[in-house]
Amino acid sequence: MAKSKGASMKITVGEPVGVVAAQSFGEPSTQMVLRSFHSAGMSSVVTTTGLPRIIEIIDARKRLSFPVMNIRLEKGSEKNYEKAKDVKRRVEGVKLGSLMSSFEENLKAGTMAVHLDREQLQANSLTIKNITDRIKAKFDGLETSSEGDTLTVKHKGKRDIRSVRTAFVRVRNLTVSGIEGIGKAVIQQDDNGNFYIVTAGSNLAGVMEVPGVNKNRIYSNDIFEVQDVYGIEAARNLIAHELSKTISDEGFTVSFKHIALIADAMTYSGKIRSAGRHGITGDKTSIFARAAYEETVKHFVNASVFGERDMLKGVAENILIGKQVNVGTGRIKLAIKKEDLKKIKSASD
Amino acid sequence: MQAETIDYIRFTTISPEMVKKMSVAKLIVPDTYNEDGYPIDGGLIDQRLGVIDPGLKCKTCGGRAKTCTGHFGHIELVRPVVHPEFAKTIYLLLQSTCESCHRILLDEKQMEQFKPVVRDLITTDIIIEDNVETEGKLAMLTKKLKSVKKCPHCGVPQQKLKFERPTFFYLNGNKLKPDEIRDWLAKVSDDDLSYLGIDGKATRPEWLVLTMLLVPPVNVRPSITLETGERSEDDLTHKLVEIMRINQRLEQDIDAGAPQIIIDDLWELLQYHVTTYFNNETPGVPVARHRSTRPLKTLAQRLKGKEGRLRYNLSGKRVNFSARSVISCDTRLGINEVGIPIRLAENLTVPFYVTKWNIDEGKKPLASSTWPCEFNFIGKDGMRKRVTDLTREELLAAIEPGQILERQLIDGDLVLFNRQPTLHKFSIMAHRARVLPGKTLRVNVSITMPYNADFDGDEMNIHVPQSLEALAEARYLMQPKDLLLSSRDGRPISFLIEDQIAGIYLLTKDGAEFTKDEACLMLSNVGIRELPKPLKNGMYSGKALFSLLLPEDLNYTGKNTRGNVVIKNGELVEGIIDHKLIGGGGALLTRIFYEYGADFTSDFILKASTMALRTDYTHGLTVSIKDYYNTPETNREREAIITEAREKVKTLLENYKSKKLESLPGYTRRETFEMLTIAELAHARERAVGYLNKTLNESNNAYLMATIGARGSLLNMAWIKMLLGQQQVRGKRPARGYRGRVLPYFERNSNDPVARGFVETGFMDGLAPLQMYLHAMGSRDSTMTKSLVTAVSGYLQRRLINALQDFYVDTNLSVKDASGALIQTIYGGDGIDPAMTLVEKDLSK
Repeated sequence: MAKSKGASMKITVGEPVGVVAAQSFGEPSTQMVLRSFHSAGMSSVVTTTGLPRIIEIIDARKRLSFPVMNIRLEKGSEKNYEKAKDVKRRVEGVKLGSLMSSFEENLKAGTMAVHLDREQLQANSLTIKNITDRIKAKFDGLETSSEGDTLTVKHKGKRDIRSVRTAFVRVRNLTVSGIEGIGKAVIQQDDNGNFYIVTAGSNLAGVMEVPGVNKNRIYSNDIFEVQDVYGIEAARNLIAHELSKTISDEGFTVSFKHIALIADAMTYSGKIRSAGRHGITGDKTSIFARAAYEETVKHFVNASVFGERDMLKGVAENILIGKQVNVGTGRIKLAIKKEDLKKIKSASD
Repeated sequence: MQAETIDYIRFTTISPEMVKKMSVAKLIVPDTYNEDGYPIDGGLIDQRLGVIDPGLKCKTCGGRAKTCTGHFGHIELVRPVVHPEFAKTIYLLLQSTCESCHRILLDEKQMEQFKPVVRDLITTDIIIEDNVETEGKLAMLTKKLKSVKKCPHCGVPQQKLKFERPTFFYLNGNKLKPDEIRDWLAKVSDDDLSYLGIDGKATRPEWLVLTMLLVPPVNVRPSITLETGERSEDDLTHKLVEIMRINQRLEQDIDAGAPQIIIDDLWELLQYHVTTYFNNETPGVPVARHRSTRPLKTLAQRLKGKEGRLRYNLSGKRVNFSARSVISCDTRLGINEVGIPIRLAENLTVPFYVTKWNIDEGKKPLASSTWPCEFNFIGKDGMRKRVTDLTREELLAAIEPGQILERQLIDGDLVLFNRQPTLHKFSIMAHRARVLPGKTLRVNVSITMPYNADFDGDEMNIHVPQSLEALAEARYLMQPKDLLLSSRDGRPISFLIEDQIAGIYLLTKDGAEFTKDEACLMLSNVGIRELPKPLKNGMYSGKALFSLLLPEDLNYTGKNTRGNVVIKNGELVEGIIDHKLIGGGGALLTRIFYEYGADFTSDFILKASTMALRTDYTHGLTVSIKDYYNTPETNREREAIITEAREKVKTLLENYKSKKLESLPGYTRRETFEMLTIAELAHARERAVGYLNKTLNESNNAYLMATIGARGSLLNMAWIKMLLGQQQVRGKRPARGYRGRVLPYFERNSNDPVARGFVETGFMDGLAPLQMYLHAMGSRDSTMTKSLVTAVSGYLQRRLINALQDFYVDTNLSVKDASGALIQTIYGGDGIDPAMTLVEKDLSK
């Protein structure tokens, strides 16, 4: 509507805000770069950015290509580097493979000798005992012994090469310290001199239990994990925040209202739904709306078996049958009293 | 305007009885035309199914090709076949029911338990929006039914049922023939069906095994006559012929008492043809092909996808009253106008509703035989008469209120103006027509931004609204002057660009002075008849001239790229008007728009741009090759930049090799080295830009345009004058090509930055063949990427629109969807139009 001085700044009743949001959001994405995995700041952890990240969110993908966490330190110790190092050590997932200088496998004998790197062990404040305990806890059919810096793993059960080998590979990939699901962790400092830790991989519930962590300021970019731990409202905020961040990182401005609407649309049902075939559009009650989108035949066939009805309330189905749509000016109906109509008729005759 | 007659549309399956009722003819001859080219009775082009030849009459309704909508026929299948699209449903039904007593495999207790769930599904007319719970329970139910080993009703143990795509069923390894399946399904009671959510009245399961095949009318599958006089049948007709042929052979063989194997083979063949008739892309079925090996387009293919019935014909409709032409620019048109070639205006019509107040206005064009004149005359009875020289006098006499005239397009008519791709609502806006000589559509350059149009051959469309409703929407909701603020972020969609920005800069920069002649010319161009107060030297300051365009009571303080801008009482006191105020940033435009309204603003944009262009003419603004000539000093600087970059890369490499280079957190040492190298080489370009910014001044027009935001950038200048810098392929330095080198010219595994795509010269010096090659690699990569992005982001937008299209703002400013579900309690948290974002900011300052 024409808006000028004195006119309302309020949104017009009936405005198809969904379409406006989708257009406002979609239009700049045309100008975005497709392949941009580069990290924003050079020294931070690798994340998905640009269009791929947006699609990841809109699709509501369960497995992110690069989950990332942002861990703040407890109040009072934000500027304590030692504390930060301590938290980092507790959080960072260290694989056995990264602690060794070399290894030898003897598949016939079912043994593997792992030569540990003393420096690496110390850097992660680990002892050989930690490792053997960890292996014992995680694997049943393995025996461990150590001599100096060499750790020997012996496969007990029957010795077919395949199972021996898979077991050894799994041992080398074993997370010996840190939190499940978290890989590399990096300490960073913000403008206020506070230290915080950025991790590749995400595990909210696990990190929360780490001493020294400010439980109220943990950030994860994994929408589903946030939903599981904090609930749907938090997930909605995260979707909106992540979308908005990604868009503005690319140098575009889109009103937060549009982004919030998309986030609300994805979450208002109480669970996260993608904007697609298996999400919002796929859940629509209208058969026509679904059929006009994707998988046309499937929807018609199923509808006929179950005797479904299309109540013709949405936009797509009304366009299809040639009726005025139920949004915007199409919502406004003119009502007239019967008597008045008669009066008009008689007057015009 | 419209009669709302459809309450809802229900989908059901069709029973054989229903097929018979719908059908006007039982088809028995598997052929189309006889030797004389006449439709065969009982054949697939039977005249009872409607006619497509203009000369013939439909034998059912007596209508001609244009009036008869066609009638269905049917084929009686000798042996039943499974409807391929319902095979999955049949599988579910067979699994859920007992093979012996055909009851549902639920015991009494379970039946009680599921009853309420089922009742919800069947009895409510409107399906409950969020029936997650119900659906969940139903899924649970079908899962449970699968695992039942013994029928709880008759105690018969259930044998293993196997479903083989697309249409075969095996019970304990023995094939279930379609007639057996049909018998089984026929015995399942409606009550038992309801536990599966199936309404027995809408769909009896035995209907899913076909005994009758409905044959669509001929105008659904028209045959076309080629130039040679040869007839070519529609794919559907071909398929139906084949079905009938096999059906007939099957019948003959059965009657002749042929061996079971032969009958079964034919039966399976019939099943195949029916399967491909419904869907020629059924998985596991060989595709039926035309003689030319082209796959046949059968029923499912007609509906599916972008070119299918739903998306191509039903969601998108063809229109009349539209035109398309190449666009070109016209600085004299306002942003709210569009120039329409006279030839288009002569052919587009606008309805004119005659009332007693405008009757004379209607008579004028009616009396004329040249533009603007009238085409059609629609009387009160709705009869349309063409206005010709013969009928003109007669119609002129008959004109009276209540009639509708269709007249040619004239100045001031509202037309919709559109450019594809129509990515947002600003890609279709309503402009006022200005009928002009020439053949192109004309637009103001300031309104090209929202359309993303330029004049290198772009074409655009116009549509003429025909109903009063459409006209009202166009008038009140779609005019660019009213839509000045984008709903994306509140920034203006229309603003000064390129040479207009340059002009405004030259006009308002400090010390810009114009002679009386120049000032008069400039002002008369925008229709101002008074001169401002001259300066002491008799000249007129540009700022004063510009101020004449501003509203007298405008007070504004803001920032441009260089510093402050102050406007006091409509007088530009300090600062230069640049793109931040009047270009894409649009701070000043936003203020003027909400303070002084749409009409004033669109007028202001036109006047400001006219004045700016006038300044350009007066001042002159040329970019020449001279602007890019390098001084020896520039060349030396370039050498220095390159040497420095090489030096730095060399040290990096040494550090990397001697393992002194520490890896950045999260990266390997190799990645770190690459990243730092690229950063270092990119820095070379930055240095070049910095150097240019330091050494050039406004006497260099290219530099001037770059710095004021008119066109080009300093980076562009650096590319030309100094060096192109590091080229990238897939976000990295070029690395592939030959073994250990990008091009055979280089040494293997060379550490020279040039060997990895560092281009050391600019366009002015010219590129060496090698460097040109490297540059082309980068260009190719970015071109390819761009073409991919359009596809990906186009699909993203389609998905978003499909997901969100039903949302609207309700009277209490909440956001709801089609089913009435609440999405937001108040739109955006405050109910304020996002187009007002900048206004809000400005007001809160």
